Amino acid sequence: MRPEAAGGLAARWMLLGEWRAHPARVATAVMAIAVGVALAFAVHLINASALNEFSKALRTVNGDADLQVRSASPQGFAESAYPAAAGVEGIAAVSPGVEFAASVGAATGVTLIGLDPLRAALVTPALLSAPTGGQAAPGAEVFDPDAVRLSPAALADAGVQIGGDVVITAAGITRVFRVVGVLSAAPEGRKLAVIDIAAAQWRFGQLGRLQRLDLKLAPGADADRVSEALRRVLPVDAAISNRQTAGRRSDSLSRAYRVNLQMLGLVALLTGGFLVFSAQSLSVARRRPQFALLRVLGTPRRALMAQVLAEGAIVGVFGAGAGLAVGFGIAATALRLLGGDLGGGYFQGGRPQLVFAPVAAAVFFGLGLAAAILGALLPARAAARAEPAVALKGAGEVWGAPGRISAWTATALLCAGALATTAPAIGGVSVFGYLAIALLLAGGVTAMPWLARLMLTPLSRRDLGSAWAMLAAQRLWGAPGQGALALCGIVASTSLMIAMAVMVTSFRSSVTEWLGQILPADLYVRMDGGGGLDPQAQTRLATVPGVAHIAFRRTTSLSLSPNLPPIALIAEPLGKGRPTLPLIGRYAPPPAGVISVWASEPAARIYGLNTGVRRRLPLGPRGTLVNVAGVWRDYAHQQGAISIDIGDYERLTGEHLRTEAAVTVTPGVAPAEVARRLRAALPPASAQQTLIAEPREIRARALSVFDRSFLVTYGLEAIAILVGLTGVGATFAAQTLARAKEFGMLRHVGVRRGQVVAMLAAEGALLGAVGAVAGIALGLAMSQVLIHVVNPQSFNWTMRTQIPWVLLMGVTESLVTTSAGAAVAAGWRALSADAIRAVREDW
Amino acid sequence: MPTHGSDNSPILRLERLTKSVSGGRTLFANLDLSVRAGELVAVTGESGVGKSTLLNLIAGLDRSDSGETWVDGLALSVLDDDARTNLRRDRIGFVFQAFHILPHLTLARNVALPLALQGVPAKAALARANEMLEAVDLGGRGDEPPSNLSGGELQRVAIARALAHRPALILADEPTGNLDPETAARVLDIFLCQVRQAGAAAVVVTHSESVAAAADRRLTLTAEGLHGRHAP
Amino acid sequence: MALSRRGFSLLALAVTANPAMAAHVDYPRVRPGAQLRFPADHGAHPEHRTEWWYLTGWLRTAGGEPNGFQVTFFRTRPDVDPANPSAFAPRQVLFAHAALSDPKVGRLAHAQRVARAGFGLAEARVGDADIRIDDWRFWRMADGRFRTRVGGTEFQMDLTVAPTQPPVLQGEHGFSRKGPALEQASYYYSLPHMQVSGMLRRGGRLESVTGEAWMDREWSSSILGADAVGWDWTGLNLEGGGALTAFQVRDASGQSLWAGGSLREAGNMMAFAPADVWFEPIQRWRSPRTGATYPVEQRLSVKTPGGVRIWRIRPLFNDQELDSRAGGGPVYWEGAATVEGGRGYLELTGYAAPLRM
Repeated sequence: MRPEAAGGLAARWMLLGEWRAHPARVATAVMAIAVGVALAFAVHLINASALNEFSKALRTVNGDADLQVRSASPQGFAESAYPAAAGVEGIAAVSPGVEFAASVGAATGVTLIGLDPLRAALVTPALLSAPTGGQAAPGAEVFDPDAVRLSPAALADAGVQIGGDVVITAAGITRVFRVVGVLSAAPEGRKLAVIDIAAAQWRFGQLGRLQRLDLKLAPGADADRVSEALRRVLPVDAAISNRQTAGRRSDSLSRAYRVNLQMLGLVALLTGGFLVFSAQSLSVARRRPQFALLRVLGTPRRALMAQVLAEGAIVGVFGAGAGLAVGFGIAATALRLLGGDLGGGYFQGGRPQLVFAPVAAAVFFGLGLAAAILGALLPARAAARAEPAVALKGAGEVWGAPGRISAWTATALLCAGALATTAPAIGGVSVFGYLAIALLLAGGVTAMPWLARLMLTPLSRRDLGSAWAMLAAQRLWGAPGQGALALCGIVASTSLMIAMAVMVTSFRSSVTEWLGQILPADLYVRMDGGGGLDPQAQTRLATVPGVAHIAFRRTTSLSLSPNLPPIALIAEPLGKGRPTLPLIGRYAPPPAGVISVWASEPAARIYGLNTGVRRRLPLGPRGTLVNVAGVWRDYAHQQGAISIDIGDYERLTGEHLRTEAAVTVTPGVAPAEVARRLRAALPPASAQQTLIAEPREIRARALSVFDRSFLVTYGLEAIAILVGLTGVGATFAAQTLARAKEFGMLRHVGVRRGQVVAMLAAEGALLGAVGAVAGIALGLAMSQVLIHVVNPQSFNWTMRTQIPWVLLMGVTESLVTTSAGAAVAAGWRALSADAIRAVREDW
Repeated sequence: MPTHGSDNSPILRLERLTKSVSGGRTLFANLDLSVRAGELVAVTGESGVGKSTLLNLIAGLDRSDSGETWVDGLALSVLDDDARTNLRRDRIGFVFQAFHILPHLTLARNVALPLALQGVPAKAALARANEMLEAVDLGGRGDEPPSNLSGGELQRVAIARALAHRPALILADEPTGNLDPETAARVLDIFLCQVRQAGAAAVVVTHSESVAAAADRRLTLTAEGLHGRHAP
Repeated sequence: MALSRRGFSLLALAVTANPAMAAHVDYPRVRPGAQLRFPADHGAHPEHRTEWWYLTGWLRTAGGEPNGFQVTFFRTRPDVDPANPSAFAPRQVLFAHAALSDPKVGRLAHAQRVARAGFGLAEARVGDADIRIDDWRFWRMADGRFRTRVGGTEFQMDLTVAPTQPPVLQGEHGFSRKGPALEQASYYYSLPHMQVSGMLRRGGRLESVTGEAWMDREWSSSILGADAVGWDWTGLNLEGGGALTAFQVRDASGQSLWAGGSLREAGNMMAFAPADVWFEPIQRWRSPRTGATYPVEQRLSVKTPGGVRIWRIRPLFNDQELDSRAGGGPVYWEGAATVEGGRGYLELTGYAAPLRM
């Protein structure tokens, strides 16, 4: 006797027979798993590729430096830090550097670095075009102040050839350089330009200032101890970072966004699991007599259970396998079309290479398989538990939900979900927020039988006037477990979709409102790519005819922590007293002699810069004590922003350059005409890289950036809906076909075909409506978790809830019609001639 | 080709079997019965008297309140669920009133199912199945799906399945109950012929006079027990 | 003649051979008749284009095994715009090189430093010898002795070098011609028979060493003729206190374009004219690494008033090739060598590839 083989052949015949008979149902289950795995895997791949690219770029720009000192702001730190750092015990070599954001020819977003090649050769050789030396005397231009070396990407974008001249603009100054070489070690896509450090200081007005020191440790030196010693000799506007902190910086830049997408992918997988559960439950219920026969003929319980689990596992294997392939394809396409941040705007420059991740592939394959097997577990147990003699006689509720769950479990899950919303974020990731959403989802789905009965009770007690309507309502009311099965996948996918939609709508409307508040002027001028306006240029612009008032701004960055990306420092004419920023909460005027700053909401949340807080900021070599006078709403700088009065800023830094301006136009003059005159008044070299726009253009652009960054979210939503609706269709088809016998009986007792179809339509519509109501209710609850827990914890900003009524109605309508349509379509098949014979048969 | 009961010991023996249903009503009590190899016993009785329950007890699908059932020398009360499942698989063949032919399997596979469950290789199992189909006048139709078949034909397939693994005991529950009289007569002929050829013991629960009349022994089940009279 | 060795360093190329760069700096010319003054001329002459402090010699370790060593500091003044006010402007660039010739190792161990002057990290003092690049330093102490601290991963040296004789002023009282054109010249003096004592660390082992060294000091703004491809040079401490200097500049065919040198013996000073010096190869050695072939053993003939004198120069061992391409320098041969009745250093350049100056 060979029990394994015994099960094997029979099980194989049964499986093949079942799948041949219902390929669509199997395909749906496979697809559900595939979609979940594909999304989760694609998001992971894109993130991994982008991060890999980012850290690769970082490594190259930082070379192989063991430690790096970076200035807190683009103004840099005093160059005396260079010999001071060189004197620290344990440091083998120091390579000083000047660094700017620059435009090079037609290339913008270029990092321009001024280096001493003699020093860089020891610390960051990757930033030199070739090993200095060699027989061919390549060092001829080593100290040439007019020579520049470009990375391949910068060379391509700049539109120059080696040996040609190129215009470089940085720190508001424009100079011509000759391209003498290529930085072949620069990573693909990374735009770098390297010139001599002395030339950089001289040509771009940075005398005495450095933005970076790249350090190499002596063999055996302890990095922590060296950092400690360094800290004692460095000015406060210079911060030490190493590979770990730099990695953390780049990671924290987009972590929240990535985690959000990843969670969406996993949620899609979860939905897939629900769909498998739903499909397998129905399939098992339908096959109860078959399983009973097998039991009678001598199949052990565990063999039946194993068979149903194997069905789930095979669905899982195919689904997860297909999901990996599709996910890889999605990732490749998305990287090509949207870039490494999926349109989120976090990684600039550089198109990442797709990196296949075998470990992650294994993990997501495992998750897909687990979802499918778990989805099949309850149905498998139900199949094994069935009493064969009873089942063979066709008694009992053929559709019984396996292991019916009481309202208690649902209540407990929902309460746990509510509780989870009160927990704080872990490492900047709203783990408990997502847990809350998962718990709410589980609770909501679990509550469906109870909820369905609750909602159908009024209908079932009323005389609905026609027999078919009565039949439909009674049936759903009488078999809520069955309704719940059908609703499981629908509610899961609908609620998630609604939650995302409400969040995005709220976010968008808050952003729209905020854009209106921050753009009160008639025209805005912004210089990109290292450009700037010196005092003469400012005077020229101010005297352009048609300009009633012009307020110059300077936006730069300030690093407050080596572990976090720098915040934006916005210097603008705020004057004394309450400024025109979109303030949230109270205003705290500063004590005499203390400088006021205004923190953006993310800055307040990340760095604790709440109203009334006094803090020393790394402005100037010894830092500056400031008072946070208020907090303003900001969606532009996720890493935080601080506003400071331009007068204070100039006093602290001695910086006269301005990068932006807000222009009020004289009444009666067309803003477009003023824009034209302003452009003519700009320095010719930077005119090309200067943006002059009216508020409505800026609003439109901002919203289009917003929409682009949510493009992937929309895509995921659409797929979730599709999977959900497919699930609805498949579920109804399965149920309806399985009820062929019932329809046969109804036809026999004289119910017209049309009446049966109407009954089915009513059932479908009712179920769809119940699903929509439950899904929307659950979705609204989850959206509040997204808005009030996940977003503040992940992105450090808040928003006001805005409900997309039109979408909600659309979802309800499409669910009702899809359910009804699927039921009717399946009904027609069930009512075909063959089905009448089903009365005689048990299946 | 009788393979069982070469000695004269009974294939099926019931001793003081008692069964009550939920609610406490006793279906039957202290039931005794002995069926030898090659013997066909018909059990008749009014609806609800517990004929099907009796078959379930014999098949090990249900448990008696007291008493013992021996099938081919094995006492069911000491067997656990798996052992009883194996007993059904190896020693018992079933024919149902509602045929229970799996719609997604070919006729040959339906018939070969008991063999497949025993672990017989597919080729041998299908060969035996086709042999049995031949025996029930469905030769050459092994690859057809069940949907093409009439009720009588389906029941003949079921008979072939019940005998495919050469069981010691055949249990049949109203084997002709779903068939018109003409078809029923033909199916009955085939059933009897096959059971006799196999030399198995058989218990047939039936309302049909003709079935009962064809049996070696005819027993009537009442709450008091089995009352028998030998067939002519 | 140390001009050669420094001349083809990357830095010298950088400041001399870039036609694309406009000439900003007016370098002072080397002229005959100048008076060298000490200790001021031990210090840097930052106006001139190139300058070096070149120490070569023999060390005796505790085990008695003889080792050769060289410690070289260069200063160069690139032709950059003096208007650049940046503290990083490369007004002066310093370069240093150290090598150890151990016959037991059979090849050179070497290390180097390079930096633009400034920030107290790299400086060459005017007025007396004191050149430093990071942790490397060469300076004259108050008692008149010189000292140097150099080293890399393979070895570190801390040597004190005491003059025992007055300087040998090469050429005409320190004005030393290097080619047929008058501007091809340098200020050049040598300190022979210097007494060495100090510490040498190798492979984690610290040992005290003694020995005898030769110091060359040279500064100039000139360059060699365009047809020169390389040169041979030797400086030899002869027994009894004699000091022999000889060099020749070669063209592509190996013919001597210019030659010179001096012999100071028993208070007698002889300067050689180009026709007074011959180098003749005796044995050649081919480098397995670069494929270059060097005349590592040579017969040196000089014409003196007392007749032609001949020395057979033999290397301490053959493989004393120095490949400094990784650090921006050339490939050349610089090795400890002996003659009958004397020891010193032999330098062979332009054999791996012609110098492109």
